Amino acid sequence: MIEVKGLVGGYAGNPVIQGLDFSIQRGEFFALIGPNGSGKTTLFQLLTGRLEPDSGTIYIDGKPVEKMSKIEKAQKVAVLSQEVQVSFDYTVEEIVRLGRYPHQKGLLKTLSKEDRRVIEHVLEVTDTKQFRNTRFRLISGGEKQRVLLAKALAQEPEILLLDEPTNHLDIKHSFELLDLLKTWQATRDVTVFAILHDLNIASLYADRVALLHQGTFADVGDVNTLRKEKQLQRVYEVDVRTQPHPVVARPQLLMTPKESRTTGKRDFQSLYTVQQRENHVHIAFDQPLRAVSNGVAGSGIDWLKHFCNFHVDKQYDSSDPLHDVRTWMEDLSIPSEQAAGMMTAVYIKDSAWVERHIHGVPLLVCITAGVGNAVDITAEKKTVESQEVGTINIMVFMDAHLTDGAFINGVMSVTEAKAKALQDLDICDEESGSLATGTSTDSVLLAATQTGTQTPYAGSGTRIGKAIGEGVYEAMVQALERTLARDDSF
Amino acid sequence: MLGTILLGLLTSSVTIPVPTLVHIIMEEAFNLGWMEDVPENEKMIIWNIRLPRVLLALCVGASLALAGAAFQGLLRNPLADPYTIGVSSGASLGAVFVLFFNVSIVGLGDFTLPVVAIISGMITLLIVFGLVHLSSRGLAIETIILAGIIVSAFIGSIISLIIALSDQDSMTQIIYWLYGSVGMRGWSYVQLMLPFMAVGVFLLLLHYRELNALALGEDAADHIGVHVKRGKISILAGASLLTGAAVAVSGSIGFVGLVIPHLVRLVTGPDHRHVLPLSLLTGGAFLVLADLVARNIIAPQELPIGVITALIGAPIFAFLLVRERLGRRNPA
Repeated sequence: MIEVKGLVGGYAGNPVIQGLDFSIQRGEFFALIGPNGSGKTTLFQLLTGRLEPDSGTIYIDGKPVEKMSKIEKAQKVAVLSQEVQVSFDYTVEEIVRLGRYPHQKGLLKTLSKEDRRVIEHVLEVTDTKQFRNTRFRLISGGEKQRVLLAKALAQEPEILLLDEPTNHLDIKHSFELLDLLKTWQATRDVTVFAILHDLNIASLYADRVALLHQGTFADVGDVNTLRKEKQLQRVYEVDVRTQPHPVVARPQLLMTPKESRTTGKRDFQSLYTVQQRENHVHIAFDQPLRAVSNGVAGSGIDWLKHFCNFHVDKQYDSSDPLHDVRTWMEDLSIPSEQAAGMMTAVYIKDSAWVERHIHGVPLLVCITAGVGNAVDITAEKKTVESQEVGTINIMVFMDAHLTDGAFINGVMSVTEAKAKALQDLDICDEESGSLATGTSTDSVLLAATQTGTQTPYAGSGTRIGKAIGEGVYEAMVQALERTLARDDSF
Repeated sequence: MLGTILLGLLTSSVTIPVPTLVHIIMEEAFNLGWMEDVPENEKMIIWNIRLPRVLLALCVGASLALAGAAFQGLLRNPLADPYTIGVSSGASLGAVFVLFFNVSIVGLGDFTLPVVAIISGMITLLIVFGLVHLSSRGLAIETIILAGIIVSAFIGSIISLIIALSDQDSMTQIIYWLYGSVGMRGWSYVQLMLPFMAVGVFLLLLHYRELNALALGEDAADHIGVHVKRGKISILAGASLLTGAAVAVSGSIGFVGLVIPHLVRLVTGPDHRHVLPLSLLTGGAFLVLADLVARNIIAPQELPIGVITALIGAPIFAFLLVRERLGRRNPA
């Protein structure tokens, strides 16, 4: 569709674009990204014909652009550029009508039936019909952009060239505009070339991404190009990390500001307060910890400040535990969006605590353990599904800096220590009679301050892994002994 | 417009009834008279004095208003008028030159002044183009305006110089010419103006879509397939022809070219498909009316028509502007 060969060009003797070769397929959404000054606008202007290339050729449908007449080009290519100043008070519809210019025929060049049909259609799809008779100058920035898009679509182009189409648009209008483009691209097989400043938007919408750096492509490829963190860091000179989008299989980028880490080492134990009541325990940190958890509230990976374990009756109706936990937190004035919460039928006063340095790692472990539902995960069983309230709740806090992988590794260490404690105290699965590996609904939470040197592992072969294992084991044994000492052991 | 023509023909110191008027025109133009014993002096007045005067006013007003609309659209500047880019100054200089030196080119006779004026107007346009071409690529709007202003200022000072050097008689003549008038010109001026006007009007009306497209800027116009440079040259040439011809036959009559297009836009909106032809008609009618007032208000003496255009035009414009703003605030 578009083919660029050996393109060199720029402003008066200063070739910003230095020899580009690429091609864009029909129906493709091609996003051009790159830092300021990388030549995005220059390349765009070379494509629109605003600038003449110093050398090299742009082919559209195999035909060199310079051999095409203006009308011929405008019938194929429409442009949506930034910041358009309109002189005089043209109405929205009059602006959109301009898009029919390359298609108007005859001596008088008046609007034909076909022209009117297209105009109606584009006003419809861009949702601009309701202000068709309003003056262009009086509508909002987002509406203007939609009107200009309508004008471009009225050209019925095969190729759309867009210069930061979502600039100045709020997220609603940005996504509406891009969704519309995507639909148009899919239904009409339109080729889209867009400069996109927002890398995350580029990742969500583009079929292919070209990263422009100092006038040449540092990389061209599908959206996974955006997962090359090192390359992005080099080109943009910003600490960029990729994260998976929670729903769509495309990367999203997170940027880290330079001065984000708190400096000055403080004693780990001074960072939190513990409040233990009859029905709950609440550990509050004065700064958020990165936490991995499968608790009722705050599950997944998140930055959290408050950690709770609530006691519930054995006959607790667990139809909506998340709602209940949130309600209890609200009653205690704990911000639930910054909190992890678990529940247990074990008495809170039987919580076991380990609070000290192990292998040099400052650690806080809090466990409530009941074994009424002790299960051997490997035993053959009739009942598989069980949603009863958790019976072993483990919370581990430490002054360490873990990668996401290390967190998962750390959770393994917790689990191994738990199983070992159950084994040593001879806790068995009632149904199978074999040694239990846990209970049917255990919860775990592993949280770290994320200060100090980052560690990629937290298994038994590491200092941190050992600390976790020893801390958890110690607290587990303590908690189990306390619970087992009661008559009504859970 | 036809009404104002009729009014222009009817009203004056000698009153002539409508049937007689129609008869005279029909007879002179198509030999289709039906009345007898129409006094010869009435024929004279209508055919040789009033009709050419009214038609000239019509042509000049139409040309200036159309040129103004085109300049405003092209330069994307509501303050632009036919005099912005200096063609009229050039034409004026030519005329002043003729008046000052009392030149008469052999074979042209009374035509010397308008012909020299038109030619010097066109030369000025070429100078402006040359300046623009030398100082910017692709005829940038700002450069056109600046070059026009520079050239206008330079020529204006030469005109002032000539006036300062003139004796009493030619000074009065020059100043009166500069005020502008459509009186006592006769058929020859109308004939002289028509071909220029035809070409200019044709060029401009043909480019109404390009003028609309330019409202979004030259890049945007280019993107929808407009050959911007070619369009600009055509429009500039057309508007300059109209301006030059109008100034050559009538002097520099102000206000029409600036205000009539705005007036029209207030009514029709900015679409040049309507603005251009309506400016043409309204401008013509307006100047006929202005001329009518100019020669009747303190008859038998005449006022300079440029004074009247502003005297009538400014209040009308102010009224419409205020009404428009109020209307916009409370959309009924």
